[in-house]
Amino acid sequence: MFAYYVKVALHNTQRNKVLAALMVLAIAVGIGASMTTLTVMHLLSGDPLPGRSQHIYYPQIDVNPQSKGREPLDMLDYRTAMDLWSSDKADQQALVANSMVKVRTPYSTRPALMLPMVSTTSDFFSMFDVPFRYGQAWSKSDDASRTRVAVISSRLNDKLFGGRNSVGKTLRLADSDVRIIGVLDAWRPSPLFYKVRGGRFTDGDTSAFYKKTDDVFMPFAASLEVNAGNFQAFTCWSAPDPNEDLRNAPCVWVALWARLNSAAKVNAYRSYLQNYADQQKAAGRIKYADDIRLRSLMQWLDFNRVVPSNVKLQTALAFSFLLICLTNVVGLLLAKFLRHSGEIGLRRALGATRTAVFFQCLIESAIIGLLGGLGGLLLTLFGLYLVRLQPVAYADLAHMDVSMFLVTFALALATSLLAGALPALRASLTPTALQLKLL
Amino acid sequence: MQIRFVLAALRKHRLATFLIALQISLACAVLCNACFLIVQQVHAMRIDSGVDEARLGTVKLSGFDPKSANDFNARVVDALRHVDGVQSVSVISGVPFGEPGVRAGIGLDPDYKQFGGVIDFYLGDDHAAHDFGLHLISGRMPSPDDYMPVTKFVPSNAPVLITRTLAEHLWPGQNPLGKQFWGLDTQFRVIGVLDHLSVSQPGGSEAKDPDWSVFVPAIAGPNLAGKYLIRAQPNDMPRVMREAREAALKAAPDAVLDTDQSHSLSRLRHSYFESARVMVKLLAGVVVALLGTTALGIVGLASFWVTQRRKQIGTRRALGATRGDILRYFQIENFIIVSFGILLGMLLAYGLSLELMRSYEVPRLPFGYMPIGAAALWILGQLAVLVPALRASAITPVEAIRTL
Amino acid sequence: MLEMRDMSKIFRTEQVETHALRSFDLHVREGEFVTVTGPSGSGKTTFLNIAGLLDTFSTGAYVLDGQDVSDLDDYARSKLRNRKIGFIFQGFNLLPDLNLFDNLDVPLCYRRLKRAERHQRINDALARVGLASRMKHYPSQLSGGQQQRAAIARALAGHPRLLLADEPTGNLDSQMALEVMDLLQDINRAGSTIVMVTHDPNLASRAQRNVHIVDGRVAEDPADGTIRPRPVEGTA
Repeated sequence: MFAYYVKVALHNTQRNKVLAALMVLAIAVGIGASMTTLTVMHLLSGDPLPGRSQHIYYPQIDVNPQSKGREPLDMLDYRTAMDLWSSDKADQQALVANSMVKVRTPYSTRPALMLPMVSTTSDFFSMFDVPFRYGQAWSKSDDASRTRVAVISSRLNDKLFGGRNSVGKTLRLADSDVRIIGVLDAWRPSPLFYKVRGGRFTDGDTSAFYKKTDDVFMPFAASLEVNAGNFQAFTCWSAPDPNEDLRNAPCVWVALWARLNSAAKVNAYRSYLQNYADQQKAAGRIKYADDIRLRSLMQWLDFNRVVPSNVKLQTALAFSFLLICLTNVVGLLLAKFLRHSGEIGLRRALGATRTAVFFQCLIESAIIGLLGGLGGLLLTLFGLYLVRLQPVAYADLAHMDVSMFLVTFALALATSLLAGALPALRASLTPTALQLKLL
Repeated sequence: MQIRFVLAALRKHRLATFLIALQISLACAVLCNACFLIVQQVHAMRIDSGVDEARLGTVKLSGFDPKSANDFNARVVDALRHVDGVQSVSVISGVPFGEPGVRAGIGLDPDYKQFGGVIDFYLGDDHAAHDFGLHLISGRMPSPDDYMPVTKFVPSNAPVLITRTLAEHLWPGQNPLGKQFWGLDTQFRVIGVLDHLSVSQPGGSEAKDPDWSVFVPAIAGPNLAGKYLIRAQPNDMPRVMREAREAALKAAPDAVLDTDQSHSLSRLRHSYFESARVMVKLLAGVVVALLGTTALGIVGLASFWVTQRRKQIGTRRALGATRGDILRYFQIENFIIVSFGILLGMLLAYGLSLELMRSYEVPRLPFGYMPIGAAALWILGQLAVLVPALRASAITPVEAIRTL
Repeated sequence: MLEMRDMSKIFRTEQVETHALRSFDLHVREGEFVTVTGPSGSGKTTFLNIAGLLDTFSTGAYVLDGQDVSDLDDYARSKLRNRKIGFIFQGFNLLPDLNLFDNLDVPLCYRRLKRAERHQRINDALARVGLASRMKHYPSQLSGGQQQRAAIARALAGHPRLLLADEPTGNLDSQMALEVMDLLQDINRAGSTIVMVTHDPNLASRAQRNVHIVDGRVAEDPADGTIRPRPVEGTA
């Protein structure tokens, strides 16, 4: 029976090739546009640390003594960050500060590079599950003893050492020699979560959050010595002296990431933060002790609205477009089925049940939808190729993955059935007598 | 005359009519909002930076020792001046469309009780104001005494040139000359008003208006070093910039040239608006695809109705309808459906606009876009229905007699 | 009222020329009820199409109500159709999307008549065929006989000079067919000229004058005494 339906449906589809092509095209373009944008959305709004992010937290304290008691600043000042870090209350924790560092090698005469550096502490790598290709991370004692070691990205390793194992080699960072102890494997969290901050001030242009991983990682304290004067504050509550060390400046520029493995730990950490803030308020260093936050990684990303508004807008546009294509196809299918209503009436008169007519029509639309979905898949691949050509930080991320591949097919099928159901229902419900009369 | 019949017939085809109207209303909603976004982006891209973009380029060096900044500045400026075609070189803190320079919140009183907003400060040495090509509309340009060394991020108690827009925002309706404002732990005094001077990242910073910036005269030194403004003839610019980059590196071999920032201002502007351009193209593509799909939908449905009604049309012709009557019947029908769609679309457009405002930081859709979107769809509808309608009008009255 | 002289209609395809009508002569006077009969393919329908200004002819002349309509363009023929001719079709040809009132209103609107006059004419016409109470009904809600009476009312409302009927009873059972035939005869007695194409010899015999067409020519016409040899299978 099913085979017969399909045969009739194919025959009907071929009866009006232009119309069928038009409907297939409409569905294909609609799905292509929606799936391209949805895939980009999916890539940009995903979890950068799957399976781990729920234990990662970003503590904030309103360290601004002139605060008006609203949202605390996005980062911490040096003293607060160091106090929280030294207390060692979390399962794991890492300080993060960023700067641009001048990089040279003693092995070549290539001109110096200015590269982004992460100043952090040893837990960073294990806490964020960072993969290593060669060597390993530094140890806690390196943090304390300000050992001049560095971990470099695989990209920098490729550039400077042709991808060979560079562990043990020397890098010249600013004006100091630093020994390479580790080379990262490919690592491209999306977004580059440990640098996400200030998203609410970007006016929706957050594509910078999707830049590639930093090239140089150094122990926090050692890097402050090596790259002194090149750290930039996130913001200051009064103008700092640019010639003075940021450590004493009225500025926030250090982030603290903590790993808290259980709800109990989270609660304990929250009350610890509160205690600390209360103490600081008593000491007169801060103004609003209750203005603390302990957001999980994903909450922090949400708060920063990391997905660029352009991308969200494009997705909204694409889905409106799909909706329009869908109504278009519903209209055309309806016209098509009703045009054949005489024939349908004849079929009903000859004993076809209402359900049979309904399924006949539904299969006819499913064929259109399946072809449209196939076209949509190809257009999605083409759309992603176009996205990769765009000058945006996340361009290289735009690839189809298995889940989105399945979603595309589900969408195509849903679209076609949705588009077919209404006309099919309408066609099957028309009274037989009327259909015969119209013949 | 025929409207009544058209309406009566449409009532009998409610579902199909509703579907095509729904499609048109969706198209209307998206069209209005997409056009508005395009206009906004284009408007943003057309911004007047207030500087002589075509004649300007910038070179940025980093990685030098701030202690030797004076010597460093002197060496680089000298090298750049010797590049063939360079008319003038100045030391600056930033340029429009370049990376963010000095940016800070200001107040109209020392205690910031009256907050003035976050603005951009452009620092420049004694050549800069002239080299930028700033256009003064009142007051005076900085005199030699006005140039002072930079203490923190700016010189203390500096005289500034303010843009007309910012002055009007800070002191509405008043003469800004001689007024003071506070920021960066110091105070500023307005000595001149500029026509325009855009912030370094127009549309992307906290500034509410792209013209919220001031020019501060300063002396190059440890806190003003590494960024240079080059002035040359527009047609010479690509070569001059190429040679300037080489000359700067040669003069300061230890420093690192910022290859992203060291370009002509035209090029910086071009890359600054790259994503906006992509967005405009995309939106335009959506609009075209949308109109195309809608037109195809109309053509498709109208063609079907024409085929379906061949006998009816023949009958009408036999009853005395002229070709024009038949043509008009389909045109009126289309007009009614499209109008119905537009009516629905206006509501949708408004709803969509509110949603966009909430989620994507865009202003509310001005009402002026609705009639434009409506007109566009009416015209589109009439054009789309023309071919099927003409085909309908060509049906001979003999069709009335023909049995199926 | 209707005068066709030496008329011919030739359908050309790439290979063949078909003479649907050849040297066709017919004169219908005002107030006559003429039936046209003939075997299939004899040219009845072509005659009706031309008589009703639905189609053009190749050579000859056609004078309708004293006006030579041979060289009129499509627009003028549409207008003439609208004012002077009333059609009654085999398949009724009511517009399914419109109720009876609107169905009758369509040709009157094409004539740009005033609203009050249209209403008057529609009411009169529907009353005359006994459907005044069915004004708001849609064609699908009526029986075949009622539909054909409505179609006749539509033709009458235009006060045509000439009523053309194409097998008006072909889709009806015999009882309904008789009703319709009676109605047409009433209309004729009231002064309207009627030309009816049919293949039913019983109906044809009820008319004052029966014109028989064979091979695109008038084979038998009592009015001018034309008698050509009839084929055996013809109606006798």
